[in-house]
Amino acid sequence: MSPGLVDRDGETHVRVTSGLVLSKRRFAGLIAGVLFLFAVPDLVRVAQALDISFFQLGVIHRGLVFGFAAVGLNLLLRHTELVSFGHAAFFGTGAYTAAVAAVYLDVTGLLVLLLLATALGTVMAGVIGALSLRHTGLYFALLTLAFGQLLYAIALGQSALGGSDGMPVRPGEANEPLLFGQALGDAYGVVTYYITAVVVLVGLLVMWRIINSPFRYALDAIGQDRTRAEFIGLPVRRYVWTAFVISGVYGGVAGGLFAVFRRYVTPDGTLYFLQSGDILYMAILGGFKTLLGPLVGGVVLIVLEFVGRSVTPYFEFLTGTVLLILVFGFPEGIVGSLGEGGVFRRAVGQTRHGVASLREDPSVAGDWGRRIGRGLRQQIDESLTTLRVVLFGVS
Amino acid sequence: MLEARGLEKTFGRITATDDVTLKFGREEGELVFIVGPNGAGKTTLVNLLTGLLTPDEGAVVMDGEDITAMSPDERVHAGLARSFQVVRVFEDMTVRENIRTVVLARRKRTRSMFSLADGHEEVEVTVADLIEKFRLEDVTDSVAEELPHGDRKLLDVAMSFGLDPNYLLLDEPTSGVSTREKEYVIETIVEVSRAEGVTTVTIEHDMDIVTEYADRLVALHQGAVHGDGTPEMLETDDELRRLLLGVET
Amino acid sequence: MASGLETLVVQTLNGLQFGFVLFLVASGLTVILGILDVLNLAHGELFAFGAYASVGIFGYVTGAIAAPVSGGIGTTIVFVIGILAAIVVTGLVLIPVGVVLESVFLRPIYERDQVYQLVLTFALLLIIIDVTKFVWGDVPIRTNSVYSGINQIPTSELLGITFPTYNVFAIVLGAVVVVGLFYFFARTKTGRIVRATAINREMATAIGVSTDRVFTLVFALGAFLAGIAGAVRVPPTAATLEMGTNPLVLSFVVIVIGGLGSLRGAFVGAVVVGVLRSWMISFYPPGEIAAPFAIMAVILLVKPEGLFGTWGETA
Repeated sequence: MSPGLVDRDGETHVRVTSGLVLSKRRFAGLIAGVLFLFAVPDLVRVAQALDISFFQLGVIHRGLVFGFAAVGLNLLLRHTELVSFGHAAFFGTGAYTAAVAAVYLDVTGLLVLLLLATALGTVMAGVIGALSLRHTGLYFALLTLAFGQLLYAIALGQSALGGSDGMPVRPGEANEPLLFGQALGDAYGVVTYYITAVVVLVGLLVMWRIINSPFRYALDAIGQDRTRAEFIGLPVRRYVWTAFVISGVYGGVAGGLFAVFRRYVTPDGTLYFLQSGDILYMAILGGFKTLLGPLVGGVVLIVLEFVGRSVTPYFEFLTGTVLLILVFGFPEGIVGSLGEGGVFRRAVGQTRHGVASLREDPSVAGDWGRRIGRGLRQQIDESLTTLRVVLFGVS
Repeated sequence: MLEARGLEKTFGRITATDDVTLKFGREEGELVFIVGPNGAGKTTLVNLLTGLLTPDEGAVVMDGEDITAMSPDERVHAGLARSFQVVRVFEDMTVRENIRTVVLARRKRTRSMFSLADGHEEVEVTVADLIEKFRLEDVTDSVAEELPHGDRKLLDVAMSFGLDPNYLLLDEPTSGVSTREKEYVIETIVEVSRAEGVTTVTIEHDMDIVTEYADRLVALHQGAVHGDGTPEMLETDDELRRLLLGVET
Repeated sequence: MASGLETLVVQTLNGLQFGFVLFLVASGLTVILGILDVLNLAHGELFAFGAYASVGIFGYVTGAIAAPVSGGIGTTIVFVIGILAAIVVTGLVLIPVGVVLESVFLRPIYERDQVYQLVLTFALLLIIIDVTKFVWGDVPIRTNSVYSGINQIPTSELLGITFPTYNVFAIVLGAVVVVGLFYFFARTKTGRIVRATAINREMATAIGVSTDRVFTLVFALGAFLAGIAGAVRVPPTAATLEMGTNPLVLSFVVIVIGGLGSLRGAFVGAVVVGVLRSWMISFYPPGEIAAPFAIMAVILLVKPEGLFGTWGETA
């Protein structure tokens, strides 16, 4: 079956490869996305001319890299319904592997560093996975977090790894990793960005194949009913472990990319559990029921972080509040909410529970605000009653 | 032949299974019903046979091989399948996806990470066949969660048959189904298991159904085998009648 | 007494003290996990919040009693009263905090995907960090004068070893709270109701227990204990913004070792982790961080359900 136009449900669709058939609108979106991805270095120059400070190559690059790790995490989250709170472990292992290989083993090749980072990140995922997968649910989250923090503490305590200062990714004489033996000089930032862009695209394509494969069905089955999954002949633990390792590969690759482009790694920046939290945050922010959501979430969160830090020293408060709003208001995330049946579409286009939509009656926005206010007041009242009961034993 | 050899299982001070020895032959399409009052150990027996529980004593032997230590998923691939008393389907999947998952899993196609899930043609043929046999055509693309109860039961049983078993253990396939639908569900099971040549062992509370369809009847009481024979047992064994129906004779 | 042995005794006592602090954090966490089915990632920040709050309360209390003159037994007594008051009041302050967090934020999401409650408590963690930073600034706050002041009481000479009196005080206090907690769950009506809820939520509802109330109570109790732990921990160390992470993660280790939801397990786990960590500090420093995790890994491989059974039946 070759690429081309096909007819489906009376509408013209575009067949990209077998199995990937998109509506015209989504196909256009795909093309635009890919073009945008590769145009970022040029757009950055435009943004600079226009004085848009947040649109910097480094910021977008960072967002893509973390978002890529979130894409990996999402395989577990979306299908096996396991929440990993330790994905920084693989990210950090990848990053530190690149740094150690550069500094101690004099590995100069950029791509070799990436390969090593991927390999070690994968091995780490295999080990942590084998230990954590004895449990599910919250216990699993707890274990992954604990193991992640162990790695963080180790990196912090080893002077060979630079302790809390971290270490540079500078192989021997060379100031930076080389691409095919060539120093990149001024072009380093842009070239590494293109490498990341290519890796991200390939990674997404691979993930897209995985989530359309029979393997995905097995993971879904396990996520929805573990016992039943066993009784249809699935060796559950082996499947979950495999999924865990795959998601670790994405983490390791992301960590390697990060080390290579930043040329410096720190425990706080790569291994700390807040980074694990951020990676999970990105998946939720972008929409964990979608393939692209985590990547979008990564870029948005990093941009938000960049803008936030320049505006307020209480940046964590800002991101924490955004996260609360997400959990209560937009659980489907950005991509999920924009899609069909998402909360935005509903709010703008459809009448619901007798409340007019925004398109029909813009004043409804005020009603929304009042409703939220009323709900919050109610909950606070309730909590005060409970407090009274807890403290004085009367209701 | 599927055999229980001296199976014992206790929970605390309660003996759920008491030295149970049973043989289920490979007579194709045989319908065995297990009856007994509540707490007789029917579900425990099924759990022991299928590997959800490990017996304290005794062994489970299938086709001459001791499978007591085998995990549930390995037993499935050896030809032993089951359903649960409560419907256990994959709730967020459609009917077709549910059945497809089962067939893919049984044929070990779920190992494939890079093929398209709906691109395995022989699998799709089997899936379509099962959907037709269990008359689920009208709800093929409905999400399992939203199906009416009768259809959910049928889907559950269809999934068990999708595992292509030699022995199929069904734990109350008609529980919670309206009287009107009951007949339909059980008829479908009978029809398909006869056609596929599957030995079906069914736990059932409805004695009308047992009398009408059973080739063989096994009665359990307080964890032990009370009787093993033909459905006529229900007529002839007064104590069994008393146990099951609470009827004094 | 041989100095090696003395070091061992001193380190064991230090470990015990830290173990108690750890137990206070871990017990709340484990009970919340067992009953609410919530992994409260913000628990470490409640600990940190308690630490900061206690400093302020201590200052207020001592100021109210007497202006501290430098040195003298008078000052020491003021310090002891001040720190006791600070610890108790801190705990009490954390109760309403816990109640509000549970009933406003957590209650609406019990029925939803687990991932949402995890990111929710993560969001609370971020917010509490910055609230703490907003109120107390991001410079570490030390109360070393309290520590050294209390240490002037010469209890350690009675024992024949050099050991800070404050740590003795902390151990005694920790022991009192531990006993109180076990008493609460084993003997009081409320404690039994909580355990009943843990064992069988539906049954508890059926006999007229309001699970909403129990949930709030349990979360508030957890906050209370974390607050006390924070207050006890401040004098020998300092109140810093990062101080919540370590107890949180070590509490995870404690929970895995002790067994999910088991209070007794949490106690044993906390003491083991505390003492082991302390021994490592003086005998094999690089092992300090890794040792608790090593035990955790062994437990996971050998006895994945932890040392003690499920919560509820065995308090």
